[in-house]
Amino acid sequence: MANLYVKAVPPADLNRNTEWFTYPGVWTTYILILFFSWILVLSVFGCSPGIAWTIVNLAHFAVTYHFFHWKKGTPFAEDQGIYNRLTWWEQVDNGKQLTRNRKFLTVVPLVLYLIASHTTDYQNPMFLFNTVAVIVLVVAKFPHMHKVRIFGINADK
Amino acid sequence: MASAVVNFLNATLDWMTFASDGPSARAVVFGVHIGGHLFIEVFLLVVILFLLSQKSYKPPKRPLTNKEIDELCDEWVPEPLIPSVNKELQYEPPVLESAAGPHTIINGKEVVNFASANYLGFIGHPKLLDSCSSALAKYGVGSCGPRGFYGTIDVHLDCEARIAKFLGTPESILYSYGLSTMFSAIPAFSKKGDIIVADEGVHWGIQNGLYLSRSTVVYFKHNDMDALRETLENITSKYKKTKNLRRYIVVEAVYQNSGQIAPLDEIIKLKEKYRFRVLLDESNSLGVLGSSGRGLTEHCGVPVEKIDIITAAMGHALATEGGFCTGSTRVIDHQRLSSSGYVFSASLPPYLASAAITAIDVLEENPNLIKKLKKNIAFLRKGLSKIPGITIASNPESPIVYLRLEKSRGSVKDDLHLLENIAERVLNEESVFVVVSKRSTLDKCRLPVGIRLFVSAGHSESDLLKASESLKRVVASVLGGHN
Repeated sequence: MANLYVKAVPPADLNRNTEWFTYPGVWTTYILILFFSWILVLSVFGCSPGIAWTIVNLAHFAVTYHFFHWKKGTPFAEDQGIYNRLTWWEQVDNGKQLTRNRKFLTVVPLVLYLIASHTTDYQNPMFLFNTVAVIVLVVAKFPHMHKVRIFGINADK
Repeated sequence: MASAVVNFLNATLDWMTFASDGPSARAVVFGVHIGGHLFIEVFLLVVILFLLSQKSYKPPKRPLTNKEIDELCDEWVPEPLIPSVNKELQYEPPVLESAAGPHTIINGKEVVNFASANYLGFIGHPKLLDSCSSALAKYGVGSCGPRGFYGTIDVHLDCEARIAKFLGTPESILYSYGLSTMFSAIPAFSKKGDIIVADEGVHWGIQNGLYLSRSTVVYFKHNDMDALRETLENITSKYKKTKNLRRYIVVEAVYQNSGQIAPLDEIIKLKEKYRFRVLLDESNSLGVLGSSGRGLTEHCGVPVEKIDIITAAMGHALATEGGFCTGSTRVIDHQRLSSSGYVFSASLPPYLASAAITAIDVLEENPNLIKKLKKNIAFLRKGLSKIPGITIASNPESPIVYLRLEKSRGSVKDDLHLLENIAERVLNEESVFVVVSKRSTLDKCRLPVGIRLFVSAGHSESDLLKASESLKRVVASVLGGHN
């Protein structure tokens, strides 16, 4: 029996703040941004590849922690405030845990940590900075940490 | 405290260094030296593989407990829908107990009425009353629907044709509510991205139309042609490269908020020089200005086709309700689908449309009414011209004689309070009914407030004399104590 009807598929994500991460090619773009950031740091500072990877890792930590795990709500008014108490990480994939996108975003800091530590030969103080950054980022991405505010940090007033 | 943290960090660092360099991390397995680095890397790879093997799931929603629900309900304070109305803004208008003709009854007492825009004295006119009665007998009261549905009666088409013939335009379109005429016509033509240059003294109906159009609105100084020229020059140079830009000038023929008359001949020169379109509101000039009452175009000697869009409310000189827009056929046809007040509102009751037709007929048959009105305006202005503390702010030809305080009390609220006091005493002690400017919280007009006297052709000389003498006495009494 041939398909006689067109089935209406609901959109995957209605939240404009997280919908962009479902676009095709966003993983590739993400990785390329990191790679070209590394190239840029190498060119600008003229440092060793290990130091450059450490700088990229720490910058990635600062940017993603702020925008994914600290900042709440959306910049769009159409949501009528439904996401005002949620971070971007809690909004993504409508709160579903361990999705492909969430796994990707968890693996990226781990791989960055491996690259940065390996290329700096596990020397301090870069090793310490890299380790702290990766632990904070990965712990924040745990499924058990969904909507959890440790000691009320960044909790709503 | 800081030293303790430093010591803790040093101990941790030492331990990590020891762990990565310790002999236990240098075991030999099948001849391969395993260092701490490899251990960390293998561990992370295992973590990554474990993470990738997990299945996704939706976290279960934890329902709110009753206590939490009660707390949320208790702490919820809704934002007020309207700003709080303080005591000073409360105002009880006088209640009319008869028709709003040149004489009316308030609180059981007959008063001379200068509060109604009954310019030609058509309220209570026998021909209009007969026209309404026969239309009621023929059509009933209402029209039962919008014009696009079954709300079109033949008297609507007759009225539109009659208005167009009277004003000398190809076509016109009727609206059922005079105030909504301008704030339906403006959004029908001007959209987001267009520019409207409007006089700062326009009334609230026009302001609402500017707001609803979502256009960029630029206000120029009230009735100041130099300011208008400067504004048009700035806009023309600023948006020189913008394509598909519609540009409008919005003015009133006789300004409701000041009684000033727009110099239409100068506006047309500026319009043609800078290539703008003109929207002109003739609510207070129709039946008043010009030798035969055709409005500001006749008064200034400007051909009517130079004005792109003319609107007017019919509740003033024509003593009926509703409004119309007149202009070229394209301007009118566009509104039949694009103007909210026409498309979505029930149409004008047929007896009001027939009253408008009859009013225009009576006006054309009796040009003396306009002469009488102009004479009354001049007479009243002469009587009011030398009152200390009060100055006449309106144009000598304006049917709205606008009295303004010579010296403001410092705020609009105080001025309004003082003027309302004057109006109340004039009404109670002298039986003359005048009206003070109204300034709602929505109104953006910043012109000074004042007392308005709407002159009618139906007023007699003794009425006008009584009004000027009464105002002279009361103003002297009220302002004498304040100055």
